[in-house]
Amino acid sequence: MIPAAYPDLASLVQAQLAIFPEHESYLSTRFRNAAPRDLAFANELAAMIKTIAGQHLSHFCADYRWLAEVIIEEEIFFRREGRYRLSTFAEADAQVYSNEPYMRRYVNGILLSQLWWANHTSVMQYFRDTYLPGLPAGARHLEIGPGHGLYLYMAAREPRLASVAGWDVSPASIAVTTATFKALGYPGRIDLALVNLFDAPGGQFDSITLSEVLEHVEEPDQALRAIARLLAPGGRAFINVPVNSPAPDHIILFRTPEAVFDTIREAGFDIEATHLAPISGATLERARKLALTISATAIARKR
Amino acid sequence: MKLMDQSAILARLTEIVRTLFDEYDGPVDASLNAKAVKQWDSLANVQFMVLVEQAFKVRFTVSEITGLKNVGELMQVIQKKLGH
Ligand SMILES: C[S@@+](CC[C@H](N)C(=O)[O-])C[C@H]1O[C@@H](n2cnc3c(N)ncnc32)[C@H](O)[C@@H]1O
Repeated sequence: MIPAAYPDLASLVQAQLAIFPEHESYLSTRFRNAAPRDLAFANELAAMIKTIAGQHLSHFCADYRWLAEVIIEEEIFFRREGRYRLSTFAEADAQVYSNEPYMRRYVNGILLSQLWWANHTSVMQYFRDTYLPGLPAGARHLEIGPGHGLYLYMAAREPRLASVAGWDVSPASIAVTTATFKALGYPGRIDLALVNLFDAPGGQFDSITLSEVLEHVEEPDQALRAIARLLAPGGRAFINVPVNSPAPDHIILFRTPEAVFDTIREAGFDIEATHLAPISGATLERARKLALTISATAIARKR
Repeated sequence: MKLMDQSAILARLTEIVRTLFDEYDGPVDASLNAKAVKQWDSLANVQFMVLVEQAFKVRFTVSEITGLKNVGELMQVIQKKLGH
């Protein structure tokens, strides 16, 4: 299913299908029409994921299978009720973030989704190829909610950044981010801390990543204002929010990319660029028509 | 939505298949299954089954949703739920 020129991707697909054979037709559709550039990126991502998982690859693949099944249940609720199942941070915290064994599996599953879900891969590629190269030399970078840690790792590898920090509300997430940096052999220093964005200790950054976090908080406008306070004048944020995307810890439903972008502008940002990535197999038009998941990403500058 | 014969059920299901899976132009009959339709993956299947629930005012279990074999079996489940 995967051309021989992309051996890491091919072997990761094989490992995943050994655990989750029912996913074969999905994965072959996922990669069928991918351009060489996208396959090359996917192959790189696959190599990183294999290194992170190491000898536990089959566990990671099983965690992804479990995640896919959990998402189906959330999807059933979402399609029936037209809303997400949970609506408070306290519920998501109790059921997910503070539930160590659950959160570990969840974050591992999300790691593989970076490759198996076309919208996730597309946003990460946009982050690496468009957002990071646009940052000024010497920028101080922070990610809120790094989870699996791949976004933070890509930023840390960028030699022009002066410093890199990550804050997450979940101890399990911090442990996973730490393990990712260790497995990938990162030689430098990164500051990881257990911090809730709403109790941010202060500090100044020139660049902040907020990817798949805004739909997890009760007051997205306040979260964005907190981001703006942490940014130095002219600082930039990479903000990525999936719309119509039910998950066990998603509490705020954005129904359109425009709703996301309006919220960002109202919180005091100018949007410099946007990127829309529909769910695997769908065109943007179809995703809009059927209210399917679209990752809505903005590069925003503090006004 | 009580008395409904097989052909009325199939007609309604056909409409839903055509709306959701607009790239599929083959026949919709009892043997049709998700494998034959490129756009019919496991997430689309949820959307399909919930549209069917709404059309027939029935409720499926999770395993009826995820374990769907083909349109023929679905017609039987619907008929049973409608009390035929
Ligand atoms: C879905 S993961 C995102 C991982 C990664 N950034 C990505 O885009 O794939 C969401 C992360 O946000 C964290 N999070 C949720 N609410 C938070 C808050 N109020 N403050 C800090 N982190 C939070 C969660 O613990 C989790 O690790």
